[in-house]
Amino acid sequence: MAVPATPTKERQPVLPPAVSRRLAQIGRSVGLPLGSIVFAFIVGAIVVVISGGDPIRAYQALLCGGFGLACSGTIYPAFQISSTIVKAIPLVLTGISVAIAFKAGLFNIGAEGQLVVGAIATTLVGIRFADLPPILLVTLVLIAGALAGAIWGGIVGVLKAYTGAHEVVTTIMLNYVAIYLAEFLVTGGPLSLKTAGGNPRSPAIGSNAILPPLIPADSTFFGLPGSVYQLSIALFVAIAAVVVFWFLLKRTTLGYEITAVGQSQRAARYGGISVRRTIIVTMLIAGAFAGLAGSIRIAGTSVQPYLTNSFLTDTTGFDAITVSLLGLNGPIGVALGALLVGGLQIGAPVMQSDAGIDGNLVYVLQALILFAIAANFLRALMLRLPAPRNAQPSQSSVEPGVGAYATDVEPAAASTEVREGT
Amino acid sequence: MNVITSILHLLLTGDFWQSTLKYSVLLLLPALGGVISERSGVVNIAMEGMMLTGAFFAVVFDLAWHNPWLATLAAVITGGLIALIHAVVSIRFKADQIISGIAINILAAGMTVFLMNRFYGLQGIDRISSSEALPVIRIPLLSDIPFIGQVFFDQNVIVYVAIILLFVINFTLFRTKLGLRVRAVGEHPQAADTAGINVYIIRYGAVIASGLLSALAGAFLSIGISNIFVPNMTAGRGYIALAAMIFGKWTPYGALFSCLIFGAGQALFDYNSTLPVSSYFIQMVPYLLTLVVLAGFVGKSVPPAADGIPYEPGGE
Repeated sequence: MAVPATPTKERQPVLPPAVSRRLAQIGRSVGLPLGSIVFAFIVGAIVVVISGGDPIRAYQALLCGGFGLACSGTIYPAFQISSTIVKAIPLVLTGISVAIAFKAGLFNIGAEGQLVVGAIATTLVGIRFADLPPILLVTLVLIAGALAGAIWGGIVGVLKAYTGAHEVVTTIMLNYVAIYLAEFLVTGGPLSLKTAGGNPRSPAIGSNAILPPLIPADSTFFGLPGSVYQLSIALFVAIAAVVVFWFLLKRTTLGYEITAVGQSQRAARYGGISVRRTIIVTMLIAGAFAGLAGSIRIAGTSVQPYLTNSFLTDTTGFDAITVSLLGLNGPIGVALGALLVGGLQIGAPVMQSDAGIDGNLVYVLQALILFAIAANFLRALMLRLPAPRNAQPSQSSVEPGVGAYATDVEPAAASTEVREGT
Repeated sequence: MNVITSILHLLLTGDFWQSTLKYSVLLLLPALGGVISERSGVVNIAMEGMMLTGAFFAVVFDLAWHNPWLATLAAVITGGLIALIHAVVSIRFKADQIISGIAINILAAGMTVFLMNRFYGLQGIDRISSSEALPVIRIPLLSDIPFIGQVFFDQNVIVYVAIILLFVINFTLFRTKLGLRVRAVGEHPQAADTAGINVYIIRYGAVIASGLLSALAGAFLSIGISNIFVPNMTAGRGYIALAAMIFGKWTPYGALFSCLIFGAGQALFDYNSTLPVSSYFIQMVPYLLTLVVLAGFVGKSVPPAADGIPYEPGGE
């Protein structure tokens, strides 16, 4: 079975051997994403067969294109792996954005919008302060992106905390506001590059604002000139983000409060946690991570260091939901999930050229993964559950309190009650 | 000042109101679908994907059969089938309905382009000849009335269908036993179950209805307005319909009201060359208005009580 990047490999060495119960617990939790991936690839294979293709060849090409494995012919595995990592970096950041919101019981569908405003802020700062020295300017554009994303996420948090407005709806609305704002800026707006022809875009940001590449352009790296690799220090930004996310969740009071609010707002409130403050802070942080992804979209490589009007068809924000769910909303899981989703998308063109299967199959696979995780088919099969009557009230397979318009707020009270004690 | 006078000029033309109604219907159908689904307690953010599915298959079947009526019917059925996935996953497997909705949207976006490339290859999909598109029907005599005739009686056949559906759905939802059951299941499924209503059947029916209506709008878009399918051609209209549903407080007439506002925005976009404001700001308006309503500045919008909660018999 062509199942790439299994989360187990990274996880097991971390565990002390004695704790077998913990091991079993992790095995159970990893079963859901792994089972969902297997489910998606089996159904995907059926789709390929029906459409007249060879699923083995298709998946082999996908594996080669995305992860540099089992390659033949003219494909450079090192380049494919590097491209997957480059693709995965914004997915890690937006994935963390979605995951941290999930931890607080919030469903952040707005990573896309937060990414877009991050990209806008990065472009503005990168053009305006183009003369600053590189270290300063790179720091500045990253901060600008994170800040803009935080504001965009913060709006959602404030609306949720003070009016009970459901974050799923507000984030969808804010996505489009951000997307059209970007379109306005580059199409005839103040940021538009007034040159004839080509797609609307902004001027390029200053070269000092662009994150330095990891592989020197004039070197040769695995048989290809270093300039073709787009890997930059953005990789360290993503790694740092994973570490910060882990530290925040496991080692800080705030992380504890976020998890507590996600599990039960009422219990958290009795425990003396300010639910309102936690919701707002969570959305600020979630927005900041997604905003960083926007910075990296613009300043991460020197390939396209300007704002375009391409966001209406961009799927990073929705991919982030797959990433976060695949990663069980944990730091390492999100990183692995991002590599898988990034690898699928980088592998898609190779699958198309080598196996003749349209690359859009990977979006079908992604949807199937989401269905499988959401429905928890695997558990349903194991328990022979689908006898809804007389079943035990089942826990949501995702995070507690996520998903419904009305479950995660106390519906009637939410709009009126001041939740902070008296 | 200039802005206001040019908008006022537009508002006096029959052309503008004619396109407003056309674009409103495009949003109204999925919005009505959303109202039905969510009134029964199943959150539906998948109108976008259902619409896209309908748009794609309408073109596929129209090119194959050269018959827009059969093509529309077939497209509507595919919309019902994709809605059935959402229904099975969220009702039977009690999945998170928002994740399922997102998955439907991703599936529709990927699957339509996958199939398009498979069926039609790299040269892309053919245009529908206008003789095989859903026709504009001029109603005799009535369409001759100045202004009103152009706006209301010189429209695509789907516009008339949608207006009839609006009245039928509103009547069914609030004046019939079936409608009472749908609302009961969405507000208090336990009580409805006790009263002998099959919660699951009602919810399945409501979700499938949302798929049928959204796909009808998709067919209207692809073989009524554009006469072609292009990838991702719904371009967020399903999400505007979602906004319209909330802005209209989960009622059919409320949805109509918001769709008219949002549709007028779309129509303004068509005339944006005559307007001194950026069309992108006009496109933002539906989303900003919905945010304002959600923030509670203009009256609260409250969803059905059991919206989004999988039904557990005996649970409370």
